[in-house]
Amino acid sequence: MTPGPYPADRADPGEPGAPTAGRFLPLDGIRVIEFGYGIAAPVAARNLGQFGAEVIRVESRRKPDSLRVGGAGWVPQGYDPRVRYDTMPALNFSCAGKKSLGLEIDAEEGYQVLARLVACTDVFITNMSADVLPRLRLRYEDLVALKPDLVYLSMPPFGDDRSPYRAYRTWGQNLSAIAGIDRMVGWPDRDPVQLGIAYPDYISAQAGATAVLAALDHRDETGEGSRIELSQYEMALAAIGPSILELELRGTVPAARGNRFEGWVPHGIYPSRGPDRWVAISVEDDEMWCALCTVPGLEHLSDDTRFDSFDRRTRHHDELDELLCSWTSVRTDREAAAELQLAGVAAFPVFDSYDLLADPHLAARDQFRVLPHARFGLDLTFGQAVVMSETEARYERAAPALGEHSREILRDVGGLGDDEIDRLVLAGVVNEMARPDVHLERPFLHWIPTVMRLPWPASHFDPAAELMHRLEDEMAEEAEGEARGAADVAPPAADDRPATS
Amino acid sequence: MNGAGHLRGLKVVDVSDAALAYGGRMLAELGADVVLIEPPEGGRARRVPPLASVASGETVSIHFAFAAAGKRSMTLDASSAEGGELFRRLVSAADVVLAAPADGEPSVLGASFAELQELNPRLVVTALTPFGLRGPNRRWRGSDLVGWAAGGVLPSVGDRDRAPLAPGGGLADMTGATNAVMGTMLALRTRRRTGRGQIVDISRQEAVISVALEAGPHIIMETAAPQTRTGKRRRTVPIGHYRTKDGAVTIVAYMPWQWQALAEWIQEETGNESVTLEVFAGTPVARLPYADAVDLWIEELTTRYGKQEFFEEAQRRGIPASPVNSIADLYEDPHLAATEAWQTVEQPGLGALRYPRPPIRFDGESGTVGLVPTLGEHTEAVLAELGASSGEIAALRSAGVV
Repeated sequence: MTPGPYPADRADPGEPGAPTAGRFLPLDGIRVIEFGYGIAAPVAARNLGQFGAEVIRVESRRKPDSLRVGGAGWVPQGYDPRVRYDTMPALNFSCAGKKSLGLEIDAEEGYQVLARLVACTDVFITNMSADVLPRLRLRYEDLVALKPDLVYLSMPPFGDDRSPYRAYRTWGQNLSAIAGIDRMVGWPDRDPVQLGIAYPDYISAQAGATAVLAALDHRDETGEGSRIELSQYEMALAAIGPSILELELRGTVPAARGNRFEGWVPHGIYPSRGPDRWVAISVEDDEMWCALCTVPGLEHLSDDTRFDSFDRRTRHHDELDELLCSWTSVRTDREAAAELQLAGVAAFPVFDSYDLLADPHLAARDQFRVLPHARFGLDLTFGQAVVMSETEARYERAAPALGEHSREILRDVGGLGDDEIDRLVLAGVVNEMARPDVHLERPFLHWIPTVMRLPWPASHFDPAAELMHRLEDEMAEEAEGEARGAADVAPPAADDRPATS
Repeated sequence: MNGAGHLRGLKVVDVSDAALAYGGRMLAELGADVVLIEPPEGGRARRVPPLASVASGETVSIHFAFAAAGKRSMTLDASSAEGGELFRRLVSAADVVLAAPADGEPSVLGASFAELQELNPRLVVTALTPFGLRGPNRRWRGSDLVGWAAGGVLPSVGDRDRAPLAPGGGLADMTGATNAVMGTMLALRTRRRTGRGQIVDISRQEAVISVALEAGPHIIMETAAPQTRTGKRRRTVPIGHYRTKDGAVTIVAYMPWQWQALAEWIQEETGNESVTLEVFAGTPVARLPYADAVDLWIEELTTRYGKQEFFEEAQRRGIPASPVNSIADLYEDPHLAATEAWQTVEQPGLGALRYPRPPIRFDGESGTVGLVPTLGEHTEAVLAELGASSGEIAALRSAGVV
């Protein structure tokens, strides 16, 4: 059967293989505490949460997560940071579905609260650097004393106490560079460029969640917990393992080759109609080459002796690219990809973020969802890359506001009374959601419902400019009136350095 | 053989492709028994590029030497009736099948997934395909490059005057494999409750989205109107590569205090008085209008250093920087030496090869990189485990089934 043209309608949800809501989620009844920063630990915990675990994110307001500090671009600098901390859209990727506990564990009372929670948790996940954990008393040895069968996952950027880099700070982009990934991105005649995504963080999150699942099964069998260590640097190294073996087996240092890939001809990204529009084409073998030669407008390739064997195509790749360019550049990326795929050739438009949101295929697979959010009412979140035939991942809430669930967690899990919680809040040890009266709206609500068929709320006010003005007016009013808001919250101090991304 | 061993006893039948191959290896490193099923003439996986010539004069797949480590190899001619029967016997006794149907059809070696599930209701079938097993694009063909293109990452990668760039090294495949392993573990854990297996449907497009928050839709959610693409491939400064005496470093001074430390260092060494001005302070977005100037100032500093030297001094000052290493540089890295991140394995027919150590450590112990199986090395052992008599094995062999 040949593939349908692009774009196509949504698939019939009743078709075989469509997921049905399973009665059991694999991590029902499992509690996870995440003390993370940036991507690696938060995303590992999010994965477990979307498959049934109750994930408690322990967050400091004094030294917030990098994604909290960032905030949304349209929130004016100087606006109450406690509100800004809830606004960065990326949090819906790293923290959807979690509960947030605002807790300052630097304070002894805060640590004691954490200790109470650890004693009744199954899994603890962190990605702090190796030098930070002893200071915060969050090493395995510290926590296993509180919960003997704890599953403990530590994902430092560099690794354990033996590492000369153990106190180093990094983001995923730094790890890509040091692990050799960046040197695989670039043109042969130019310097390599940055990939720009924190690849090592994400694959560490996936491998880390996998290790936790193996450890939980092991605990069910034996009653024993596990101490799991996963250096993000070393995970990145595993991911480029084939390139390392290339040096071992061939003695040559693998280098960036533009968009070419050994053994595949033609292989590249070709210009299509429109500004900055491109189409990727990959031909895997002789069979796919023959398919390419049946595409209307490309039939002449089969008669060209320069291309009549794999070796000759490799030798004449540049000329082949030119011929393909003249074919792709008079078509849109979608037309080109659809024509090539109809013939059985691997090809796809070079998607950007808008293309993802508007893609009927991703929509049919429910890859984007609109879920409740304490600050925005509803917000856009991502689906799971793990799609199963019987078990549907749980999508209940977008990212939590900082401290949104503090009281509920301390009462229901920690067993504290409301008076005690009030006291901890007053002492600044526990933080609840700040300014619950402030409700915001995403500026993109004015256009995104025209792109995506998702249940969006009606928009109440005009986009970004007006939103910014509204927030600025509010700031001015507050400055005149009582000093409530930004004034009583210090921005992160200069020594609040992130442990890791 | 495998240190951690939490998955000891798990039986995995691997009939996947190069993209999912690392998934089987990960399961083997966690203790599972992974049997790679190959046609009698050798599977396609043994010919996946890049290729190398070894001492024996043979041409081998470098990718296979990496991704098949720790698996067992069994030959099986699935096109014969006996071969098809044998495959079904294997699956009936297995926990997991790893598959990668190229055409989006949920079947493998002539057996539909539904048939396999009927044979063995406890079976977990994990498939990695370019676009998943359902949805309008499910039959579309793919590759690592197509995965990157479909994942929304590329418009921001590369130079302004050329096409967007995808990374080499098969990294889209790799995250497809890690997601597939995570999905397999989730399905196995569900099975503990329900007694039933299921199909795990991993789309490489979605796997790329799962590693690309920075490029994904969250970027545009910041804006009031859809923006058109400009061909500009830079978003913030300083984020990117800066030249050194011997190559380049990367600097990600994302937090305001990290920029401040960098600015002070530039001022201290190069005498630049402008760089510490308030107008350049704050988050990277603040410096975007001055990107070209700021880049030059930074490079005046970085070019005074070697990349490792700059890295160590930057880190001493609390600035997240790192060297842009080549694969060869990794052998010199003091962290990898100190943490025993390498394992040298004497591979039959390939010689002594240095591998990165399996990255997951349980209770201080990491798995070991296993041996790369020769073609059909474990056929008899696997058949014997299935209860085949030596007479039966000999008959299958002479009929060319195995």
